[in-house]
Amino acid sequence: MIKPSGRHLCFLGLAVVVVVTMLVDYRPELTPSDDTRGMFAYIDSLPPGSLLLVSFDHEASSLPEIRPLALAFLRHAFARNHRLIGIALLAEGTGIGYGLMNQVAKEYGIEYGRDYVYLGFKPQYVAAILSMGESIRQTFPEDYTGRVWESLPMLDGIRNYGDLAGVISITDGSMVMHWVEYGNGRYGVKVAAFVAAAMMTTYDPYLGSGQMRAMVGGLRGAAEYELLIGRGGSGARSMLAQTSMHLYVLLLIIIGNVVYFRNRRAGGGT
Amino acid sequence: MRRRLPQIVCGLFGILLLALYFSSHPIARSINLLVLVEYYQIIFAFTLLLGVVSFVRVNLKAIERREDRPYRVVALLGLVAMPVLAVIWGIKGDSPFMWVFDNVQVPMQSTVFALLAFFVASASYRGFRARSVAAAVLLVSALLALLSRSDLGGLIAGYVSPLAEWLRDYPSMSARRAILIGIGLGSLTTSIRVILGIERTWLGGKK
Repeated sequence: MIKPSGRHLCFLGLAVVVVVTMLVDYRPELTPSDDTRGMFAYIDSLPPGSLLLVSFDHEASSLPEIRPLALAFLRHAFARNHRLIGIALLAEGTGIGYGLMNQVAKEYGIEYGRDYVYLGFKPQYVAAILSMGESIRQTFPEDYTGRVWESLPMLDGIRNYGDLAGVISITDGSMVMHWVEYGNGRYGVKVAAFVAAAMMTTYDPYLGSGQMRAMVGGLRGAAEYELLIGRGGSGARSMLAQTSMHLYVLLLIIIGNVVYFRNRRAGGGT
Repeated sequence: MRRRLPQIVCGLFGILLLALYFSSHPIARSINLLVLVEYYQIIFAFTLLLGVVSFVRVNLKAIERREDRPYRVVALLGLVAMPVLAVIWGIKGDSPFMWVFDNVQVPMQSTVFALLAFFVASASYRGFRARSVAAAVLLVSALLALLSRSDLGGLIAGYVSPLAEWLRDYPSMSARRAILIGIGLGSLTTSIRVILGIERTWLGGKK
């Protein structure tokens, strides 16, 4: 039988903290950050009916963090009557994006083809971003379900980024960088993003320089956005688990350092 | 000639694509679109094919050598099963392909990703020590970043958030900018060297 070590106890503690806190239905009273307020104000400031391209640029692994962000954005956009064109530049985001758009569209009674369409996946993301700057129709000749452009009234007259109010990338990786460098840099389209928390500092320079319009990140960002749109979701629901886990890690760091300094003082090094 | 011809082709296409990227002439834009929509996709299809062939060969050889046999068989079955499901029933809505994606791939990937949390917890206990001033600064910054993504009521809004925001807006952002500018200049230099034929390592073999 394996004798439990300090590492095993760390694992066990974490499992207990996450499982127990996920069972508690606690809704935090958050103060939305400037980033989240900025995104909310941006989407809110667009005239109703504005055309946005929403790109599901993420993998399945980050779904617990990305899903609440995507749902909060879609609810806000549909509540404001914005028209959305969905795409995916990573294969795994394709089915997820389609499912999420349909789910929220059903909640708001939104009609496919008139208020939103889903064009699906295009490989070679840099080429896809650049070619949409020339022609969205030639990049995606049909939608995800195989319907041609003529059968989708919402797409009437849409040529390229010039006809869009902006691009929203929902991502867990470096895709926003490509949207900014090629979409914004070459064609001037406004880019905003909902990102995994780990990627926020990566995009700070673009946000600071104004190349990116707005950014919301992580579960906390999702929880704050849910608060602003007045509709709770899994972002707020998961905040207690995330906070507890952060405090648990903080506690482990403190204990580790106390042990380290005590041993060092006793001449035992680490 | 074996090395010269690829260099000339590379240089010519490098200059052509650069000119197409920056040109707003209608002919240049239509060629650009053709390259982006057609050529890139053809190249992608071949890279995909190369990847699949390589994956199958590596795994079949390992199965022959009896290395991690069950895992490799499952990997190959997955590689065959998903395209078969997609071709027969399609990839939309309630198809078996999407069922497997939603109920097998998504939970498995999320599980693997979630394992990181356990490693972070263990590493934070065993490795995150204030051994020097620099390590202590890193430690305090990490703690502030952790707390700023948590919910501790007024404590976060009042004290932690402003400090964490300051860290993001100044030290972190300036370091990121320096890295980005470095990457940009490095990419530019390498591209020019490849186009001009100074950098030839991509051809393989000796200089």
